[in-house]
Amino acid sequence: MQLNTLPVSTWNHLGVNHAPDRAALPAAPAGGWGATNTRYEALPEGCACRPVLPLACARARSGLGVEADRFIRTNATFHRFYSAAGTAKAPIRLYEHLDSDHPNAITHTALHAQENACVTYIQVITAEDDADGVSAGLTQIAAERGARVRLIQVQLLPLACRRYNAVAVRCEAGARVDVVRAEPGAGVLVSGAHFALEGDESACRLDAVYYGEGDGILDFNDVAVHTGRGTVSELTTAGVLSDRAEKILRGTIDFQRGAVRGVGHEQEDVVLFSPDVRNRTAPLILCAEEQVEGQHAATIGRLDEDMLYYLSSRGLSAADARRLLVEARFAPILDKIPDTALREQVRADIGRRLDHDA
Amino acid sequence: MAETGRSEIRDIDRSLYDFRYESDPDFQVESGLTPEIVETISREKNDPDWMRAFRLKSLAVYNKMPLPAWGPPLDGLHMENIVTYVRPKTDMRGTWDEVPDDIKNTFERLGIPQAERASLAGVGAQYDSEVVYHNVKKEVLEQGVIYTDLESALHSDQAERIREHFMHLVPPGDHKFAALHGAVWSGGSYVYVPKGVSVEIPLQSYFRLNAPGAGQFEHTLIIVDEGAYLHFIEGCSAPKYNVANLHAGCVEIFVGKNARVRYSTIENWSKNMYNLNTKRAVVDEGGTIEWVSGSFGSHTSYLYPMSILRGEGARMEFTGITFAGNGQELDTGAQVVHAAAGTSSHIMTKSLARDGGVSNFRSSVIVTKDAHEAKSAVSCESLMLDDRSRSDTIPVMDIRCDRADVGHEAKIGRISEDAVFYLMSRGLSEEDARALIVGGFAEPIAKELPLEYAVEMNNLIHLEMSGTL
Repeated sequence: MQLNTLPVSTWNHLGVNHAPDRAALPAAPAGGWGATNTRYEALPEGCACRPVLPLACARARSGLGVEADRFIRTNATFHRFYSAAGTAKAPIRLYEHLDSDHPNAITHTALHAQENACVTYIQVITAEDDADGVSAGLTQIAAERGARVRLIQVQLLPLACRRYNAVAVRCEAGARVDVVRAEPGAGVLVSGAHFALEGDESACRLDAVYYGEGDGILDFNDVAVHTGRGTVSELTTAGVLSDRAEKILRGTIDFQRGAVRGVGHEQEDVVLFSPDVRNRTAPLILCAEEQVEGQHAATIGRLDEDMLYYLSSRGLSAADARRLLVEARFAPILDKIPDTALREQVRADIGRRLDHDA
Repeated sequence: MAETGRSEIRDIDRSLYDFRYESDPDFQVESGLTPEIVETISREKNDPDWMRAFRLKSLAVYNKMPLPAWGPPLDGLHMENIVTYVRPKTDMRGTWDEVPDDIKNTFERLGIPQAERASLAGVGAQYDSEVVYHNVKKEVLEQGVIYTDLESALHSDQAERIREHFMHLVPPGDHKFAALHGAVWSGGSYVYVPKGVSVEIPLQSYFRLNAPGAGQFEHTLIIVDEGAYLHFIEGCSAPKYNVANLHAGCVEIFVGKNARVRYSTIENWSKNMYNLNTKRAVVDEGGTIEWVSGSFGSHTSYLYPMSILRGEGARMEFTGITFAGNGQELDTGAQVVHAAAGTSSHIMTKSLARDGGVSNFRSSVIVTKDAHEAKSAVSCESLMLDDRSRSDTIPVMDIRCDRADVGHEAKIGRISEDAVFYLMSRGLSEEDARALIVGGFAEPIAKELPLEYAVEMNNLIHLEMSGTL
């Protein structure tokens, strides 16, 4: 099974057409995946659990690919399907924790936001320090006309864990789905968000943060497909690579015929901390419509030497200066995490990793 | 030129390039690709033994390699129908008067002898599979510059140098059409510029494919020694036929220490052509390669000049424009490998798609582990001229060095209606307003070309633009 397939193939020798074999989904253990250790809070008013996957959600596919979606769906040991109506006063929260009794977590959740609903869905994936299992999640979201959905994903797994994060989004007219993906953890991280902007004036935004270290493999495939008129997508990724980490980011803005007045922006900012890292980026803009505006920009390199020097001259240690500059890059994305405690938890986790690299 | 409704597309007058003479070759091989055909070509060309062996080895590689799994479809290309070698009824001549009338008239209509007189230091003209005319100005020869057809050079005192360089940059195993080229190559140019010599006036090779159903596989080998300078211009065109033609040429450029080479191309193959061309340069310390590329013709193009910056401080610039119209899928771009410290690259491309055409930008920037302080900037802009066309941008960056700075920006959009309205309010017709805007879009490329070629490129743009309304 190939994961994170680039929507349009390019030279094979570059190795970006799909995720590397080393990042493959593992087969189920002999004794099965075991129970998933999850915790969830009472649902806010207007939100409810559904016994079956809503059809509108079932039609959404993720960036990992339909085969991976099927794998997670059929192997999932935890299923939860939400619906939301009206404005939810509090977020839906789902916590997943890997420990020795629950080394793996395979989850399939969905959120069906009904017309004009407004809801935030927070997923937090953590583990014991010595965990080495697999976390794989498929999140399918359907936003009906005028709905507003925020998906906040925080993943703080240790390096020995593997993480597969499949996000599938469909937007009807006027709907908007914003995803914040803060995933500084896991030694193998494969994430793919797919946004189908089917309705006119629908919009999506992805803000992603990662931190690759050790021998980590990070593989991303984020796709915004503009079908409706006046649709808007914003894909922003910021990350750090250190040690011998390897990362591939595929970001695709796909303007299909009929996506008149579509606007898509994609931005990547990568900081390289080690001579042994490998950073690959494939930012695609596919366009079959005349009246669109698509843009991509990427900056890849070290932290600004002048800035580091300036901060050092102001009394900061080299490590503190570096930490300050990295935090400044991540801040616009992390500030979008609505839960203060959770936001600080992510900051502290990234800070620990930076200290380790210093 | 009456204006019509926007959805109507008028026929484009391509008579400047589409004229043709009856194909009446002196000799041609059977269509298809077999060891016998390759042996025949080798025999006809009086190859040295090593070249004959090289051709057969390339054929074996070709037979083993799959078609690319990416890029535009090649369904309409059937090698069994392609004639890989067509020899015109003339030997290579040193004056236009000696060239047979039909061939001479072809190049006259393309303006080659006129350009030679006005602004070139030397010209090579290839007709089907053979170079029919080659000449270089005396003062250039006196500088020690060698500019001749590759076959002649292969039988001269340059033989050993050619053997050391031929298909070393683009080995047959690189891809299927490089292997094809290695098996059936014919014609092309050889240039050697000695140490410290600056060739102030450009050299030009022009490739014309006249025979229907034929392939053209010219090989251009350029070696520019330390501290030398060369501007080489390549032009190509063909009349349109109802059968597929194939161009699988190969360009190899060796840029010496502190040398500089500018390679300019205006490619205007006919719209039944599969243009699967490979161009590659390797640049030594302090050297510079500059590519200027205009792609207007062909049914299908795969064209991505590659620069390997292997010497410290080596530099590459790529400036390209691609204009795809009805029935065309032009997949173009550039590749660069930063393999040494302090290397820099700048890729700037513009692409346009109209009338159902597909224009893809594809690139790769590789920065190897030791390429400290490498800098790369890629900028690609695409302009969609209607909603029946397609334009994809497929860049990849592969960075393996932390001490490198790489930037990339891509933009896709349409002609601003406000700008069209403004120009029309100043008295321009809508067609002229749009052509003016497209001309402005292409201007950064045009200014990199010698004047005559910038004019030709602008003419091509106007030719392509006429009928967009």
